[in-house]
Amino acid sequence: MASDIQNYANQRIVEVLASKLRRRQVVGSRNAAIETTLVLRQVVSKARFSNIDQLVDIIRSVGRRLVEAQPKEHTVGNTVRKVLHHIREEYHTAVEGTAAATKKEDFSISRFVSQGQPRKQNIPVPKSEERTTTLRENDPDDPDSFAKGLKPVLMEAIQDVLDELETVYDNVSKNARDHIHSDEIVLTIGHSKTVEAFLKSAAHYRNYTVIVAESSPSYSGHEMARSLSSSNISTFLVPDSSIYALMSRVNKVILGAHAILANGGMFALTGSLLAASAAHAHSTPVVVCAGQFKLTPLWNLYHEYGALDFSDPSSVLGFEEGDLVDKVDVINPYFDYVRPELVDVYITNDGDHPPSSVYRLIKESYDDDDHEL
Amino acid sequence: MTKAERRELQERQRAEKASGKTGSAAPSTPAAKKGRRGSLAEGLSTPGSAQKGKETKEGVSGAVGGGGGEDAGKARGLRIFSHFGLPKPITSHKGEIHPAIVRLGLQFSEFKITGANARCIATLTAFKSVIQDYVTPPNNTLSRHLMTHLSPQISYLVAARPMSVTMGNAIRQLKLEISGTDIDLPEQDAKDALCDKIDNYIRDRIIIADQVIQDTAGKKIKDGDVILTYARSSVVEKVLLQAHSDGKKFSVIVVDSRPMLEGKNLLHTLSSHSIPTTYLLLPSLPSIITEATTILLGAHSLHSNGAVYSRAGTAMVAMLGKEYRVPVVVCCETYKFSESVGVDGFSKNELAPINKFSTPPHSKSPQSLLSASTNENPYLEILNPLYDLTPPTSITAVVTEVGVIPPNSISSIPLALGRNMI
Repeated sequence: MASDIQNYANQRIVEVLASKLRRRQVVGSRNAAIETTLVLRQVVSKARFSNIDQLVDIIRSVGRRLVEAQPKEHTVGNTVRKVLHHIREEYHTAVEGTAAATKKEDFSISRFVSQGQPRKQNIPVPKSEERTTTLRENDPDDPDSFAKGLKPVLMEAIQDVLDELETVYDNVSKNARDHIHSDEIVLTIGHSKTVEAFLKSAAHYRNYTVIVAESSPSYSGHEMARSLSSSNISTFLVPDSSIYALMSRVNKVILGAHAILANGGMFALTGSLLAASAAHAHSTPVVVCAGQFKLTPLWNLYHEYGALDFSDPSSVLGFEEGDLVDKVDVINPYFDYVRPELVDVYITNDGDHPPSSVYRLIKESYDDDDHEL
Repeated sequence: MTKAERRELQERQRAEKASGKTGSAAPSTPAAKKGRRGSLAEGLSTPGSAQKGKETKEGVSGAVGGGGGEDAGKARGLRIFSHFGLPKPITSHKGEIHPAIVRLGLQFSEFKITGANARCIATLTAFKSVIQDYVTPPNNTLSRHLMTHLSPQISYLVAARPMSVTMGNAIRQLKLEISGTDIDLPEQDAKDALCDKIDNYIRDRIIIADQVIQDTAGKKIKDGDVILTYARSSVVEKVLLQAHSDGKKFSVIVVDSRPMLEGKNLLHTLSSHSIPTTYLLLPSLPSIITEATTILLGAHSLHSNGAVYSRAGTAMVAMLGKEYRVPVVVCCETYKFSESVGVDGFSKNELAPINKFSTPPHSKSPQSLLSASTNENPYLEILNPLYDLTPPTSITAVVTEVGVIPPNSISSIPLALGRNMI
């Protein structure tokens, strides 16, 4: 069995995505998540399994392989966890029928604390012997019958994940006009697609001004400024250095996230911490727009140097500075860790949440067993 | 001719004039007073702000092209930023402009000479040649007329680039010296005396002051320290080099940012002295701030409430330094002190011309910059503010030539030095 699972993880399609991730040919959290879902769908549709544990093992081994390829793309792992969660849910509904849903639990504090899980996953797993449905695990006569019975719902479950990813921008920005008011000045940094969609959606209803910090060394803010201004949003492009000087006139800072962590902090584009700190110093609210696929069951309380991901130095100090190249250390990290105190609200595709309730969202989105893939 | 002869000559000239003045002692005080008041007003605000306001309107509306009036939101955006001085090409000027000043104006507007100290020294040096080439017209005294001769030169420089606080302070001092010039002094002697005064000012307030700061700040650097600095300050550079030549073993983190990327110059200097350096851009600062033991910053000027007006980005470095408990030390000569109070980097600032610094240094993206598209897109504008204001709360200490002082005692320094020294 172990070797079978190994085979799944070494499948060509998994291998291709793993190397793409490693070579950073797939970048951006949403892209990585979509690619992962597609691979998982492929894997599940081809997989042979005769009980749920085998299926979970297969998905996990594939997930582990992908996460190892690029540990800093947290959404890969998140997507795998999400798929596992959905699959378990479908499985439970399939084997239980409606029994689980109707089962009433009396609420008490002690139960809530001891279980720690506010929702659905607490359904006691029934033993297969008690089963009355047509779904039979480990059927010796026909080992594939379980897979055959379950696969259609599994495909649906994965499709749900995919749909969520594809509509994430629309759903994040659907309440944009409640957050941006007329004549406000909004500051953002770099180019986050979620923020871009959010701002553009708000522009349908409101007349406001955006200040875009260019975010060196990628200077992705230029692209953002161009895109926003072409949607007739009054846009000012400024260097990163002037964030503090302008902050006193800014009503709101809107940032994107790379991954939202369990403590409510986030990994975000380099420069986010500076912008958020400057906003904090001026008591300006910091709003983060992100899809829920970025929720990551991970903690980073100390902003360790090693938790960062470093990019190539040439965009900071290129070879045209010939004599400097071998004398100077150049640092060019991709991400900042932003502490939860610096974030006021996360606007997600499923409602707005304060950083303090991110842990609950994570509890609801993923199963505890999957935190370590 | 001897001194006596010259005096005789002057005496005769004065007798010939004899129009309004009666004595020599009486007019000197009102003249001095008037000169001082006038210089205060001029040096501090009038020409600068008036000029700035005018420029801004023209400059910004010029930059936006026709797109300004159509959109209400746009107009609002413009209004907020409208007070930022935007340099424009020098077109008209009244009076004769000395070639040295024309040259200097060009160097200022082209950003060939930047930095508070460099600009101040360059201005004073240029004024020296203006003064040397000046001839008092008949029926005038040097102490009264020279200032009217210098005024258009100053406004020419201001038109090239808004005046730095250091220049304002130095010019005010110069005006004081001019108005205090003894009218009995022969013209050449008076001019020589003024040039000496200028030389002394440069020597005492800048060069020697820097040496004292080098020693004082150098004492704060210990073996094994990691000094973090932002952009390039001439004083900080000197402090680091001095500490290095004193045999201290330390490394330097140079933080830099657009629009000017001045840190690269510092990097060249430091690495040529083989001081170990690390280079990063401002957004990456949080990942390395914990490694630093001291933050050394330069200043453009220091407000009397202890706020530091300096290169854009300094405020964020200091803010982060405070947050991570890294001491923030600002090196600043006392002649940079400004009597005004600053609370906000937004209210007073200067914009760098877009075309000077528009291209990101190593942009990988083909659509790198929008200097061209500014004109096609009325909704997009590029601002490059040059300065920001660091609140005194994020500064640990200020190193001046009179010692290391906390930022909230800044206001007592000019008093201690004697008001007229600033």
